[in-house]
Amino acid sequence: MELIIENLPFLLKGAYYTLLITVVSMFFGLIIGIITAIARLKGNRFFQGIARVYVSIIRGTPPLVQIVIVYYGLVDYGITLGPLTAAYIALSINIGAYVSETFRGAIQAIPKGQTEAAIATGMTEWQAMKRIILPQAVRVAIPPLGNTFIGMLKETSLVSVITVTELLRSAQLLVAQYYVYMPFYLAIAVMYWIMSTAFSMILNKVEKRLSIY
Amino acid sequence: MIKMYGIFKHFQDNEVLKEINMEVANREIVAVLGPSGSGKSTLLRCINGLEEISSGRMDVNGIMVDAAAPKKTRQKNVQAIRLQTGMVFQQFNLYPHKTVIDNVIEALITVKKTPKEKAVQKGETLLKRVGLMDKRNVYPSRLSGGQQQRVAIARALAMEPAIMLFDEPTSALDPELVGEVLSVMRELANEGMTMMIVTHEMKFAREVADRILFMADGRIVEDAAPAQFFSSPQSERAKKFLHQVMDN
Repeated sequence: MELIIENLPFLLKGAYYTLLITVVSMFFGLIIGIITAIARLKGNRFFQGIARVYVSIIRGTPPLVQIVIVYYGLVDYGITLGPLTAAYIALSINIGAYVSETFRGAIQAIPKGQTEAAIATGMTEWQAMKRIILPQAVRVAIPPLGNTFIGMLKETSLVSVITVTELLRSAQLLVAQYYVYMPFYLAIAVMYWIMSTAFSMILNKVEKRLSIY
Repeated sequence: MIKMYGIFKHFQDNEVLKEINMEVANREIVAVLGPSGSGKSTLLRCINGLEEISSGRMDVNGIMVDAAAPKKTRQKNVQAIRLQTGMVFQQFNLYPHKTVIDNVIEALITVKKTPKEKAVQKGETLLKRVGLMDKRNVYPSRLSGGQQQRVAIARALAMEPAIMLFDEPTSALDPELVGEVLSVMRELANEGMTMMIVTHEMKFAREVADRILFMADGRIVEDAAPAQFFSSPQSERAKKFLHQVMDN
C-alpha cells in the first residue's frame, strides 16, 4: 500500500494518458463514424463501397494488430509517428468503424416520415439529415455509444505495447522497478474501474437530459 | 394549378397509378376518394415528388415535371414544387425533438432563411390560427393527435404554399378528435386555399369539396361534383364503394 501511495503521482499520470487517449480517440472516432454511417446510407456506390470495406477490415482484425501496423508498419514507408500520435490514429480509426455501425442503426431507426415531412417543406435531404434525423439518431445512439466508450477506455491498455505510458504501462514500469506485481496491477484495476463507473454515471445524466421529450 | 398528363407509377412490377389525367383549378378543393390500395395516397405523393413518377408529365403551379427529362432537371423542378405545396400526413410526422413553435418555423429558418424573430412572429400567428398558441413551448408527445395534426397544418402553412395536400389527415385520429382538424381545414377552404384531400370522411368531402375524384385500381374512375357523385354515382365500383362506406 505504501508503495502505491508513494508512486501514486506516477500512476495518476498514466491514468491521465488513458483518459486523454480515450477522449481524443472517441472524439475523432465519432466524426469518422458519423461520416461513414452517412456514406453507407446515402452515398453513391463508390462511397458505400469504401465505407463497407473500411468497417469490414476494422471489425475483422484485432485492434492490437491495427496499432502495431500504424506504429511499426508505416515506418517501412517512411512515416514515423510518435507513440501517442500513432495511438490516437489507430484507435480513432478503430472506434470509428464501431461507431458507424451504431449510427447506421440509429439513423435507420428514425421513421421515414420524418425525412418526408422535412423534404416536403422544401428542405434538402442533407438539411433533413442534419436538422431532423441526426439529432434524433444521436439520442437513440447514446446508450450503445456509452458502451463503446467504456470499451475504448479499456482498449487503450493495448497501446502500452507501443511504449505509450498510459495506465497499464505505468504499472509495468513500477513492477520492473520494485519486483512486486499484485499491488500495482490491483491498483490500476481499481483505477480503470473507477473511471468506467464515472463514465457510466455521466452518460446516464446525458441520456436523461436528452430525453426531455 | 395542377395538371397531370398520362401519369404512370409503378413499384417494381406493381402498377399503382395507371394513366392518370386530371386537373385541379386555382382555389379548387378536390377530395380524392376510393378503396384502400386504389392509389390515392400515391397520386398525392407524386405531386410533391415524395414518389417519383414512372412516366407522364405534370404541371404544378407552372412548374413542369416530365418523367422523360434528365434527372437533374426533374430534381430541380420537384424541389421548386415542394416550395409551392404544403403536405399534411396521416401520421402527423411532427419533429419529436422540437417544440411546437420550432416545428412550425423550422423550414422558414432552414429553407427560406427568415430571421428568427420574424419566423417566430409568423409561427405564433399560425398557432393562434389553429388555436394552439398555449402549446407553443410544448413537445409534440404532450399533445393529443388532433392537436398534433393542427400543428402539422400550421407547419405546412408557414411556407405559404399555393396548394395544400392532405394525405388522410384524420385517419389516425380518435373519432372525437377528428372534428377539430376538419374545422381547421374547413376554414382554410373558406379562405380560398387550393386543396387536394385524400380522405375517408365522406360527410366532409361532400360538404367542403368542389369536386370528387374517385379512384379504383390505380385509375380515376369518376370525376364529378359531390352532389352528383354521392347521389348518382355512374360506375359500379363507385356504387359498391359508397354502399360499403355508407353502411358503416
